[in-house]
Amino acid sequence: MRPAPFRPLPSRPRPASTYVLGVFAALIAAFAATFVDAARLRAERAPHTQASIALTARLGLTDPVLMTEARYLRHPSQADLHAHFQDHPLAFDLFPGGSLLPPPRHAHLAQPSATAD
Amino acid sequence: MRTWLNRQRLLIEYTVAALGRRRARSLGLLLTYTAVVFVLASVMLFTHALRQEAARVLAHSPEVVLQHLVAGRHALIPADYLERIPRQRGVREMTPRLWGYFYDPVVQANYTFMATADAPPPGHILIGPAMARARGVAPGNLIAWRAYDGAVHTFTVAGILDAHSELMSADLVLLGEDDFRGFFNYPEGQYTDIAIAVRNPREVRNVATRLSEALPDARLILRDEVLRTYAALFDWRQGIVLAILSGALLAFALLAWDKASGLAAEERREIGILKAIGWETGDVLRMKFWEGALLSGTAFLSGYVLAHVHVFHLHGALFRPVLQGWAVLYPRFALPPEIDPLQVLTLALLTVLPYTVAVLVPCWRAATTDPDAVMRS
Amino acid sequence: MILQPAIIALLLCAALGFAALALSSPASWQLVRHWQPQSGSRLQLALERRTYLMSVLVRFVLVSQIAALLLFVYNADRMAVQFVGAMCAVGTLQANAWGFPALLAQIALFFAASSWLLLDHADRQARDYPLVRLKFAALLVVLLPLTGTVLALQGLYFGNLRADVITSCCGSLFSADSPSVSGTLAALPPRPAMLAFYFSVLLACAANLHYRLRRRGAWLAGASSALAFVAAIVGIIAFVSLYIYEHPHHHCPFCILQAEHGYYGYALYLPLFAASACGLGVGVLAPFSARPGLRTVMPALCARLAGWAAAGFALFLALATLMIQSSNLILLES
Repeated sequence: MRPAPFRPLPSRPRPASTYVLGVFAALIAAFAATFVDAARLRAERAPHTQASIALTARLGLTDPVLMTEARYLRHPSQADLHAHFQDHPLAFDLFPGGSLLPPPRHAHLAQPSATAD
Repeated sequence: MRTWLNRQRLLIEYTVAALGRRRARSLGLLLTYTAVVFVLASVMLFTHALRQEAARVLAHSPEVVLQHLVAGRHALIPADYLERIPRQRGVREMTPRLWGYFYDPVVQANYTFMATADAPPPGHILIGPAMARARGVAPGNLIAWRAYDGAVHTFTVAGILDAHSELMSADLVLLGEDDFRGFFNYPEGQYTDIAIAVRNPREVRNVATRLSEALPDARLILRDEVLRTYAALFDWRQGIVLAILSGALLAFALLAWDKASGLAAEERREIGILKAIGWETGDVLRMKFWEGALLSGTAFLSGYVLAHVHVFHLHGALFRPVLQGWAVLYPRFALPPEIDPLQVLTLALLTVLPYTVAVLVPCWRAATTDPDAVMRS
Repeated sequence: MILQPAIIALLLCAALGFAALALSSPASWQLVRHWQPQSGSRLQLALERRTYLMSVLVRFVLVSQIAALLLFVYNADRMAVQFVGAMCAVGTLQANAWGFPALLAQIALFFAASSWLLLDHADRQARDYPLVRLKFAALLVVLLPLTGTVLALQGLYFGNLRADVITSCCGSLFSADSPSVSGTLAALPPRPAMLAFYFSVLLACAANLHYRLRRRGAWLAGASSALAFVAAIVGIIAFVSLYIYEHPHHHCPFCILQAEHGYYGYALYLPLFAASACGLGVGVLAPFSARPGLRTVMPALCARLAGWAAAGFALFLALATLMIQSSNLILLES
C-alpha cells in the first residue's frame, strides 16, 4: 500500500540545521537560567519581604498600596460591603482601578443580612 | 534509533531551509507569536508574584478587625464600645486603631494617615517612600497641610519608611495620637476600628462568631477573609487581562491559520515535487510538525525569557501605566519571583494550543496535495 | 464562575478537543463504513488521505487532554486557599457536586486516550492499516462521548464554582466515620490493606514481566494492571498517606501533592499512571497481534510496553516502600 520507504537526500546536513538547533539549545538554556535567576532574586529580595512583614505586624496593616484613588481601592478588604456604590447610591465606579477589582464577595460570618449589600 | 535521529535531522534541515526561503513571512509570524507569549507571560508572572508576596505579607495582618457600622456605613467606634465587648476567652489583645485618609491638593494624591504608639515626637511625622518622592521631601524638611479645621499644620519629616517595605507603606503618614486627633479634629475617645489578636489561630472563627452575636452593629473582618479577598482580586485581574487579550489570541490564531492555509503557489509546487520524488504524506506532515514545533518552541521560550526580564528586572515597566490608574502615588517594588509549573503549563496551553489547532487542517491539506495536480497547473 | 487563567485554559482545552472530535465524527463514520484497503476507488483514496488528518487531530487532542489532567489536579490544589474550609484539592473539588465526577471523567479519558494512542501507534507501524475500522469505531463510541462528558462536567464544575461556598476539607471526606466510599477506604484496617496493596501491585509487575519474557498472558497483564491501579489508589488512601503525613488519621490522597510533603505525590502518581497506561495498553493491543499485518510489529511493541509497565510498577512499589520505611509513624506493631 505504501510507496517505497523514505530515503534521505544524498547530501550532508548543512550547517543551517546545526545553527538553528544551536539557537534552540541556547533558548532552552536561557529558559532554564530564568529559574536559576528567579531563585537568586528570591533569596536577594527576601529581606524586602521581611521589612514589609515587620511593618505589617507592627502597625496592623491590612492592605497593600496598589491603588490610592479611592478608599475602596486603597483598602478593598476594609471597605463597606456595597463598596462600588459606597458614596451615594448612584455613585458610579469612575476610577480606572475599579475595573481591576472583582465584584464584592458576599462571604460573611453568621450574620444573616445584618448589613445591606 | 540512529537512523530515526538522522531522519528527523534531515527533516529539520529541510524545514529550516524552507522557512528561510520565506524569511519575511516566517519572521513576521514568529515575532507576533513571541509578542503574544510575552504579554501573556508578563501578566501571569507579575500577578502571580504579586499575589504570593501579598499573601506572605498579609499573613501577618491583624487576625480580626472590628468595625462599627451605622446605617450600613463604617463609623467611628465610641469609647465605651470596648467595654460592651464581653470578656472573651481566646482574645489575647484588643488594640484600638486610628487611621484615615487625607487628600493633598498640592500633588493631588491621597495619603493614609495612621496614629501609632511608637510614633516620633509631637510635630514630627514618618512618611512613606512614594509620598516622599511625590512631594520631593527629605528627612528634616517641613511639610504644611491645611487641615480639616481650616488651620495650617506644619510637620517635620522625622524619617522615611524603609523603601523595601514600599508595597505596604508607599502612601503612609505615621504620627502620634495627639497630632492625629488635632489634625483631623477627631472626636476625643473615639477610634477608627479595633484590631483583635486571638490566642489560638484555630479559634479565630469561633471568637468572631461570638463577637458578632454580642455586637450586632459591628462588622468583623477576618484575616482569612482579607487573604481570600486578595486571592480573588488577583485572579480577577488576571482573568480580566486575559479576557481582553483573548481578542489578540484569536487574531493571532487567525493569522496563523491564514498563513498556513494561504500556501503560496510556490510552496504547493515544492510539496508536489517532494511527493513526486518519493516523500510520503506522513513525511510532509512530519516536516510540517517540525516547522510548527520550531516556531512554537522558539516563540514560547523567547517570549517567556523576555517576560521574566521585563517583570523581574525591569519591574513590569510596560504595565505600570495600566495598573497605575489615576493614582499619583504608585509603589515601586521589586517582587521576589514566584514561578510555579502551573503557570508555565497554563501559559503553554493558552498559546501553543490555539496555534496548533489553527494550523492542523491547512497543514493536512498541504500534505495531501496531489503531485500531478500541482505540477500540471 | 471564577475567572482564572488555569480555568480558562482547561475549558479551552476541553472545548477545542471536543469540537475537533465532534467536527471530524462524520469523517470517522465514513471511515468505519467504507474503508476497503483492497479497493483502489476514488473514495478509498480520499479516505486514506483523511486517516492522516484524523490521526494527527486525535493524537493532538488526546495529548492535550493528558496535559489537562495534570493541570486540573494542580489547579484544584492551588485554588484551595479561596474556599472557606478547604486545605487541599479535596476542598476545591468538593466545592460543588461536579468536582469529583469531573476528575474521574478526566482520569477515564486519560486511560482511554493512552490506549487509543497505542492502538494508533501499532496501526501505523503495519503496512496495510489493519486496525483503522476498530480505531475509528472506538473514537466514535468511546472517545467522543468521553470528551463530551469531560467538557460538560468541567463546564458545570467551573461554572458553578463560587468562592464563598464553605466546603469540607480532606479530613472529613477521608475519615473513618464518613458514610461514603472514601470513608470506607479510610477505615480499612492497615494490615489487610497492605497485603492487598502489595499483592496486586506485585501481581501486575509479575504478569507484565512474564509477558515481556514469554509473550504469554496478555489479558492477565492488562487486567492485573487495572486492578493494581485501583489497589494502589486504595492503598495510598488507606495507609501510604498515613506514613507520609506521619499522622494516624490523615488519609488524604491529594495533600501529598503539596510542597510541605516534598511533592511525594507526584513521585508516586507519575510512575503509577504511566505503568497502568502501559499495562492496559498490553491488554488492549495483544488480542490483535494475530492479525496478518501486525504479526511482525505487535509482539515487539507489546513486549516493550509490558517491560515499561513492570518497571513502572516496580518503581512505584519501591518508592512507596521507601516512604513507609523512612517514616516515623508506627502503624503495625511487629
